[in-house]
Amino acid sequence: MRRRPPVIVIPVVGVAIVLALPVWVAAPTAWAQALPEIVEEESANEPVGYTPADTAAATASPASTLVLTGYVDVGFVNAQGDGTSFAPGDTRLPADYGVDPFATAVNSRGDAASTASGGRFVNGFLPYSAGVGGRPSFLINTINVDVRFTAPTAPVMVFTRLQLVPRAGGDAGNDLDGDGTRVVAEQAFGRITPFESTELALAVGKFDSVFGIEYLENQANLRTGITPSLIARYTTGQSIGAKLFYRLQIAPLWSALSLNAAATTSGTMVTSLQTPHASLTGVPVGSARLGYELNLPRVQVKAGASGLVGPRNDQADADSLQRAWGVDVRVHWFGLAFSGEYLVLDQDRGAGPKRTGLGQFPLPSAFHVEGFYAQLAYGRDVTLGPLRRATVYARGEQRHARFEGFTPVKVRRLTAGLRLDLWDSLALKGEVLMNREVEGAPTVENDVYATSVVWTW
Amino acid sequence: MVTSIAMRPRRGRAVLVAAALGMLWAPAAFAAPAKDARTGGWLGEDLPLPLPVRSPQDLAVKAVIERQYLLFNLLASGKIAWDAGDYATAAAKWETLLRLPGVDAEIDRHIRPLAAEARAKAGGTAAMLPPVPSAPAASVVTSPPTAPVSSGAVGTMPSVLASATAADRVTISGTVSGGGAAGPGGAVLWLRRTDGRTPRPAPARGKIVSQRGKTFIPRVLAVTVGTKVDFRNDDEIFHNVFSLSRPNDFDTGLYKAGGSYTQTFKQPGPIQLLCNIHSSMIGYVYVVDTPYYAQADAGGAFSIKGVPTGEYELGAWHEAASKIAKQTLTVGPGGLRGVSIQIAGDKKAPAFVPDKSGRPRQPQLGY
Repeated sequence: MRRRPPVIVIPVVGVAIVLALPVWVAAPTAWAQALPEIVEEESANEPVGYTPADTAAATASPASTLVLTGYVDVGFVNAQGDGTSFAPGDTRLPADYGVDPFATAVNSRGDAASTASGGRFVNGFLPYSAGVGGRPSFLINTINVDVRFTAPTAPVMVFTRLQLVPRAGGDAGNDLDGDGTRVVAEQAFGRITPFESTELALAVGKFDSVFGIEYLENQANLRTGITPSLIARYTTGQSIGAKLFYRLQIAPLWSALSLNAAATTSGTMVTSLQTPHASLTGVPVGSARLGYELNLPRVQVKAGASGLVGPRNDQADADSLQRAWGVDVRVHWFGLAFSGEYLVLDQDRGAGPKRTGLGQFPLPSAFHVEGFYAQLAYGRDVTLGPLRRATVYARGEQRHARFEGFTPVKVRRLTAGLRLDLWDSLALKGEVLMNREVEGAPTVENDVYATSVVWTW
Repeated sequence: MVTSIAMRPRRGRAVLVAAALGMLWAPAAFAAPAKDARTGGWLGEDLPLPLPVRSPQDLAVKAVIERQYLLFNLLASGKIAWDAGDYATAAAKWETLLRLPGVDAEIDRHIRPLAAEARAKAGGTAAMLPPVPSAPAASVVTSPPTAPVSSGAVGTMPSVLASATAADRVTISGTVSGGGAAGPGGAVLWLRRTDGRTPRPAPARGKIVSQRGKTFIPRVLAVTVGTKVDFRNDDEIFHNVFSLSRPNDFDTGLYKAGGSYTQTFKQPGPIQLLCNIHSSMIGYVYVVDTPYYAQADAGGAFSIKGVPTGEYELGAWHEAASKIAKQTLTVGPGGLRGVSIQIAGDKKAPAFVPDKSGRPRQPQLGY
């Protein structure tokens, strides 16, 4: 039972209010009289601003049309078990058809901690490997150099991205484990923007995928977290060919429509699954993304639909097709960033042996996969010593895949991490990957704890 | 280059002043254009002028033209209002004119008594006006284009309560060095009193940043707190201007060729300007909270005018420096010359320019 306030309280409070009222009303005036008058003064100095005479210096990359940038990505990682997703008692073959060998990713490249199958037969469904197994290890993930040249007298840009990937194992001539040191010309293309008044760009050479959105942050210094998603292996590969980008601004709606289309030798799978440097069939793979952007002052929404069709470039038979479609969405809202992607991909059965970036494998199995990821990140600018920005993020994802004639495999993963940006050039990242085999694959301990230090120069 | 162009209007200033004053006493000479003026449509309300800007030199020349245009129109519209018996408007126009920084002494000498008389005829008390300039006016050339001033502007004009007279004001000049490969050009310098309160600066007027050739012109603009800056698209393509520099972050949205957007900068500090469409575009506005400020030219030379004597801290900001350079100065009656200040060049251009949501953009992708 509640106690009532004493009756005397009410008149006391009333009197106090009445007494305080004149003080409250007079206070601003009193304060204004007590404070010195704020002086406002017209300035005799109103410079008109400064623009360097060299127009190249007025761009974001001042003083030169030849710009070298890059990064060094160093990590310390620890994967559970032996660093693979293979189970010791699982005798099914091919071993890589019954698990997800990409699950133990340790870096931005998507390299697995290990792909060692214990001598069991594998058939070319493997990522590159960091070769560290289940041992806690330091790792030089990538040494990256970007060279960008912008022609001063023509709307032409030339871009090259070279990467050194130091690894401890492997044999340069026959690296089926994918853990050998290698130098990668990841991108090398020329781009022309022929019309000054139209957002149209044409590129020829080796360039990023146009499928989906994950390729946009497929480098260690750009990616919010450390590791790529479970479907990145199908969408983020580089390939050689020609590419077109066109964007139409719709100013009254704060919107834009864009088209990104490419014809390439191998489609959008990563190099460990298809070779990008030679067309095995002579028929290009077509891929495209149609995008919509809503660019409000504090809210940005981007959505798109992607498609791909063409011969699977691990086969010499042009009738063995690969087809994919996907949708993506990104929402940025007051420091929150949501991104998500859904993918469906099919490959016809091939006629001959399978040839990937890791070598040649005998079974040209038909393949079907569908998967998605959804990531939520919250970043906040911070002024605390060298700390400039802190970002926490979490990603949930699922992949369901089936090789023709083999047991379907469904896996899920939850990734959570923290990124700290220091000064303007250093990113410290740490994340945990919790892999779960839901269907078809043996349950193994294959969680990963990864850290990454990325120096951008 | 800018200096040589800027000198030409200086030589023509006397001619312009003489012409304007001559017209004041010969109403018949401009009877024809006064047709619209009598109905309230005088051209002085139509700034900024639709003059094309293709280079920093264009912008400097345009600034000079618009200033002279405004001076003339305030002079003339005041006279027309006087002749029409609208003394309140005449007083407002002329008082606005007299408040402009660097108004020629000859104009001041003629107009000040007229403004007072107009104000008296209008039944008001004389407005607080800047002191009579005792020396030749500050450089007209370096002053900015000035925004339209409505006839009712007097009531909203800031009070000028400077304690020092014009005779007490001196000039601080010197050189900035450093800035790395970009050089010291564009460095923003300012003085803050250490022996008392620094006056709050009045907002500058008519400040413009043009987007031309996928660049910001000027690349670096210094303004006082509260200044409204017009961002204008002088390209044939869509542009956007945004900044993630808190607390002055803003976003203009898309705007097409010829469009403009006005942003008021209320807090001091550096503001990085970017375009959400063109990742190669970058520029800066630096907001100062003192009336004593300047920008260094390409060689690093700077000059801060109208500074009262006293103790100051000199600050310098540059886009290539990670920290603000500071040093103390004692300003005597003779002013200071040969001040030297060093800025760092340790801050690199960003490897990846962010989009409006803060996500880094790879320059080789997209458009």
